Amino acid sequence: MRIRVDTELCQGHGRCYMLAPDLFEADDDGYSQPTDERAVPAELADQARRAFMNCPEDAVILTEETS
Amino acid sequence: MTDAAPDSHYTLERPEEAVDPQSIYRDLRDNTPVVQLSGRSTTGTLTISRHEDVMRALRTPELFSSDSSAVQIGNIRPLVPLQVDPPHHSKHRKALDPLFAPKQMVKYEPRVRELIRELIDEVADNGHCNFHNDIAEPLPSTIFVELLGLPVSRVNEFLALKDGIIRPPARSLEERYEMVKATGQKIYAVLEEVVEARMEERQDDFLSTIIDAKVDGQPLSRDDVVDIGYLFFLAGLDTVSASLDCIVAYLAQNPDHRQRVADDPAIIPHAIEELLRYESPVPIVPRITTADTEMSGCPIAEGSRITVLLGSANTDERVWDNPDQVDFDRESNKHLGFGGGVHRCLGSHLARMELRVALEEWHARVPDYRLADGLELRYSPGIRQVDNLELVW
Repeated sequence: MRIRVDTELCQGHGRCYMLAPDLFEADDDGYSQPTDERAVPAELADQARRAFMNCPEDAVILTEETS
Repeated sequence: MTDAAPDSHYTLERPEEAVDPQSIYRDLRDNTPVVQLSGRSTTGTLTISRHEDVMRALRTPELFSSDSSAVQIGNIRPLVPLQVDPPHHSKHRKALDPLFAPKQMVKYEPRVRELIRELIDEVADNGHCNFHNDIAEPLPSTIFVELLGLPVSRVNEFLALKDGIIRPPARSLEERYEMVKATGQKIYAVLEEVVEARMEERQDDFLSTIIDAKVDGQPLSRDDVVDIGYLFFLAGLDTVSASLDCIVAYLAQNPDHRQRVADDPAIIPHAIEELLRYESPVPIVPRITTADTEMSGCPIAEGSRITVLLGSANTDERVWDNPDQVDFDRESNKHLGFGGGVHRCLGSHLARMELRVALEEWHARVPDYRLADGLELRYSPGIRQVDNLELVW
């Protein structure tokens, strides 16, 4: 599972860093701190799914690996 | 040319409609997704209710403009940044976002907690209170007046001015327009006075920070500072109060949900998000179209004023599972209680913090409460305050 935030879509609702604090962080303006797409550790998979399912702008991009 | 949109007998302005707007939203979505309501302020506007259409309006600001002609709230210039479209919007927004970022809100939390405790102290031993008058109105308005830098001793005067814009006791559209305009002048006068004083001498408040803010490397004009203040004045003095009203009114009528909040404070942030979804205390945002378009098969002409029903999008069964069920454990909650797109509520992080702290403190002191016997709640149309929220415990 890999995750990133589309910074073009992010409007700073703050749902991702509230629900998935180990994966996302607020920047100084309250938007999700931009990061590169990265692998989600297995123990954070639930947080990743919560962030994905609660972003009103659909800005959390989650890729489930199918290998 | 909006001939294709049917008329509806709904107004979304009558108090009896405001008690259970969810059923009206459903009817609109199912039968007339683009419709002309027959209320005073909704006449001549097109009301959209389906989630898909609402999302498109929020996410396409170049077509669904927030230009000030979309709504009449007593201002003589556009409210900044609410009534400014991209690209200018983003520059002002960038200057204001840091004021309301979660990192800043952490600093204000102790003061919010102190004030809510004082307010609760006043009523806790009485066994009853009017939650709106005693808690929901004074808490956010006092906090906001302090943050903005207006004199706290005049908070009641400011609340009356705010109500003069949002709920003028007018009997006709013309009277409403005149009342709102006159009240707007008074709000400008208050802001001009305080901005003048802060230009002379800065204090530790938002107005001083805004005076020193830079957009494109230039300081804001005096008018810009006043126009930002005007928006903050209206938004800061009403929306959190209404949200707190709606949430506590729901909990007072639903003992299982109330008990869960009282037993497990960790659920409070989730309860807030879910009740912002279901109750949608700020149910409407206005837009105006910049070109011909269509929605749900209905042609919409350039220059059409659009009433965007956030509350309906938040309960649309086309995208939500069991939308009429209030479920604090809802896994997916992409609610639009704070709007969406580039105009997402600037104060949302302040609102969330205030709501959380208020609910934590209230339930720690008064965990078991209900509506006064025989009470019929009075929700105001538009922004949904509940001014007769009489509780007993």
